Amino acid sequence: MAERPEDLNLPNAVITRIIKEALPDGVNISKEARSAISRAASVFVLYATSCANNFAMKGKRKTLNASDVLSAMEEMEFQRFVAPLKEALEAYRREQRGKKEASEQKKKDKDRKTDSEEQDKSREEDNDEEEERLEEDEQNEEEEVDN
Amino acid sequence: MAAAAAGGTPREEEGSSGEAAPQPQAPTSAPGARLSRLPLARVKALVKADPDVTLAGQEAIFILARGPELFVETIAKDAYCCAQQGKRKTLQRRDLDNAIEAVDEFAFLEGKFS
Repeated sequence: MAERPEDLNLPNAVITRIIKEALPDGVNISKEARSAISRAASVFVLYATSCANNFAMKGKRKTLNASDVLSAMEEMEFQRFVAPLKEALEAYRREQRGKKEASEQKKKDKDRKTDSEEQDKSREEDNDEEEERLEEDEQNEEEEVDN
Repeated sequence: MAAAAAGGTPREEEGSSGEAAPQPQAPTSAPGARLSRLPLARVKALVKADPDVTLAGQEAIFILARGPELFVETIAKDAYCCAQQGKRKTLQRRDLDNAIEAVDEFAFLEGKFS
């Protein structure tokens, strides 16, 4: 129920954890400072989005992609973020590939399982059919002999 | 950190609103490998708030979640320098204001919260 984009805050607990890990032990942060940093982070996202969107429009694209955002970082004079962001992106892509392969593998296993169950069922049916055919053949042979 | 569905259910894509509880990303199999802590759903909401943006790819959202984390670390450290000078161990709001004024890169924050 946000009235303005800036009101969409990122979770306080996460922001606090990031701040605490960035600072030496024993350093505290006041509530006002923490909520200001949280808002700053939201503003950062909005600003970066807007910059990235400019790059996307320049490239006549409607979808923001990773390189648009990286270019935005440089534009915003946060070049020092670009290298760690690229590394994080690589790791993210690897994770996505891994997840995709894992879910495809799961699906394959599932299919194989249902296939083998169906094979068992159809094998029983085949056996029944074979028995019927054998009986028919015997009858036919008898008829031929008569003729 | 509570691990969200280990079965790989992409909660962020469902857009769950965890207003009260933060929804950190599920950790990967590698120990200590936390790719991003900010929930992608919240970041996506911020991105969509921009009227000029039509669509954003998943990778773009990811970087937009990771960037602010680096930014928070940076600004916290810069603000801490100001607090240290004042021989304080608690970061105050004014330390943040000082950092924003002092550092060119933070100029975009001026006047954004008052």
